[in-house]
Amino acid sequence: MAARGSCPGCGSTALVEDAHYAQQQLVCAACGCVLAEGLLTTTYAEEEHLREVAYSQSTGQKEQLSRCLQRGIRRVQDLCKVLQLPMVFEETAVSYFQRALQHPSFHLVSLEKKELLGGCCIFVTCRQHNWPLTMGTICSLLYVKQELFASVYLSLQKELGLSVPALSLGDLVKTHLNSFRLFQHAANVPAPFVEDKEKMVARTMQIVELASETWLVTGRHPIPIVTAAAFLSWQSLQPAARLTCTFARFCKLAGVDLPPPAHLRLKELLEILLRMASQLAWLRVFNIDKKTVVKHIGDLLQHRIFLLKNAFCLGDEEEQCAMAPGEGSPGSPPAAGGAAQEEGRPSEGKRQHEGGPRPLLPPCLINPRKRLRTAAPSASDSAITGDEPISDSEIEQYLRDPEEIRAFRKAKAWL
Amino acid sequence: FKDDLSTSPQLFTPMSPYDVDLPIQSTEDVLFGSQFNQPKELPADFSSVDLSFLPDITQDSKEQNLSEAGHDMQKEFDGSISSRNEDSSIFMDESSLSYPDATRPSPEASGVCPPLTPMTPMTPVTPASESSGIVPQLQNIVSTVNLACKLDLKNIALHARNAEYNPKRFAAVIMRIREPRTTALIFSSGKMVCTGAKSEEQSRLAARKYARVVQKLGFPAKFLDFKIQNMVGSCDVRFPIRLEGLVLTHQQFSSYEPELFPGLIYRMVKPRIVLLIFVSGKVVLTGAKERSEIYEAFENIYPILKGFKKAS
Repeated sequence: MAARGSCPGCGSTALVEDAHYAQQQLVCAACGCVLAEGLLTTTYAEEEHLREVAYSQSTGQKEQLSRCLQRGIRRVQDLCKVLQLPMVFEETAVSYFQRALQHPSFHLVSLEKKELLGGCCIFVTCRQHNWPLTMGTICSLLYVKQELFASVYLSLQKELGLSVPALSLGDLVKTHLNSFRLFQHAANVPAPFVEDKEKMVARTMQIVELASETWLVTGRHPIPIVTAAAFLSWQSLQPAARLTCTFARFCKLAGVDLPPPAHLRLKELLEILLRMASQLAWLRVFNIDKKTVVKHIGDLLQHRIFLLKNAFCLGDEEEQCAMAPGEGSPGSPPAAGGAAQEEGRPSEGKRQHEGGPRPLLPPCLINPRKRLRTAAPSASDSAITGDEPISDSEIEQYLRDPEEIRAFRKAKAWL
Repeated sequence: FKDDLSTSPQLFTPMSPYDVDLPIQSTEDVLFGSQFNQPKELPADFSSVDLSFLPDITQDSKEQNLSEAGHDMQKEFDGSISSRNEDSSIFMDESSLSYPDATRPSPEASGVCPPLTPMTPMTPVTPASESSGIVPQLQNIVSTVNLACKLDLKNIALHARNAEYNPKRFAAVIMRIREPRTTALIFSSGKMVCTGAKSEEQSRLAARKYARVVQKLGFPAKFLDFKIQNMVGSCDVRFPIRLEGLVLTHQQFSSYEPELFPGLIYRMVKPRIVLLIFVSGKVVLTGAKERSEIYEAFENIYPILKGFKKAS
């Protein structure tokens, strides 16, 4: 806007008010001479409207980065703020993102993938600092499918050569339980259902550790296990009031999703606990089943080392396992009769006597799914040299006759 | 040449390793003029002896490949019989036979009879724990070949019974044959990909059959540059594995994300093979161009996995 007065340098009357950074200046439009600096208006109200300019905006820093990169960085920063991550994480994630985008394999991917890339960088940063962030969380924040996230994540790991430590289950338990809404009295939560957070976290950790020792965790998605363990620990802390509550209802009250595999994990956990209970002297008199074992989880956890040793045969204690003689458990070193190994298939777990210790194995070995075994290459197969003569009749079986071709053509015309 | 001749005595049955009625043996005799010595001492319980194989070769490159036999890995024999009878069948190409050292060198043996060692090792020199006695079984071979002529895919799809062609979905004809049970992708440039074979020789035979089909359809198809691109093998170590422990100790090679995939992805550097290791003890090996790489990779990973056997 033009102001009054004339320029002392050139005498022109074209004076313009311009802002240099945060400062208002009166500048001559003809020669550029600065007439006055500082606020040219002294109204208090006008002073209030002035805003400070961020460093990144006033310097040329932003112009050096491409718009795509800028947008990506902003997205990464927004995500970090949503997840309430420390500042250090944000900087690390942004630097990973910049490195990744410069990489030829990521430079030209679709915009959707570039946004995913930002999420992957945050995920990697969290993992490297042992911050328990699951892929499910990131995927839901980015509204992407987990398969796409997985492929971008794996290629990011490979291209940048990042070493990502494994997810720590302990931290995951604490973080996941934080989202459970059972620790305070609320309108929809009946009084006996409210639980003390510390106690529940401690017991859930113990159950998850037990699951880890008994092969229920390896190779499986961690969240369903944590959810099932939380349910069991919650029930066991006040069994009288809570035994009637179903798993689904528990998750609804807690405000948490019930992942589909969680039911299976719950079943497996109960089976382990039942086996342990069978070894506890004062429980043998009771008829313990899936429902009643929950009441005794506290005792079972207290003596779990002893019970695990007795309830399951670990590795070299194959004699304790009630197996047919001559068959070793799959985990045992090769017995003297090597023929035993032929029978050492996982299915032998099924032939256990009731109550006898069963080998401590992952569930996939205890209950192997019947798989169609491909026929072993026969002797004739092994004699193939690759250079045999090929008979004409064999090839002709794959070619169509003329009338077949005509019929096919006609059929195609109809389609 | 100083190749060591040996063949798996377990070609057909584990208990009669010295079955001489093998058509291959006679060919070997003819080709190399060697005597097959029945070894004097042999362990009563004999495991699957396997050879590391070189890549499939054409007739011309036979000599070149045989000279590479020296690089092959050595296989150990342990005392326990493996139930993997199926693995013991060797798919020997008449023109390409590879002869690794069958014994952990008893140097006197190789010194005494230079061009050949006995068919089987004298005795298992090292105890059972050093070798796995398990042989990975090949499950899939992917190979490519150049038919060296432009092809009319619509024509092929019309005249061949076993072909499917959907240009909107994929720009190649998908053809299948029953024996060997394989699938081929045939492109209009004349290049072809053959998948599904269980051995290098089968893959080559299948590729030749596809080429013959294309020839019979009226195209001047040739058979150039046949190359095995990928080999996939699998086996079972028979004990459960603590994947969480393995990813901690071998972090630079392993990637274990239970949220994504139940197995651990182990990228071995030498040989350059990717292994998928599962909690049940099953191992899948892929990325090999030669059969020996699969065997070598498994022998490398087996002691590592055994270290996690008792860690429960």
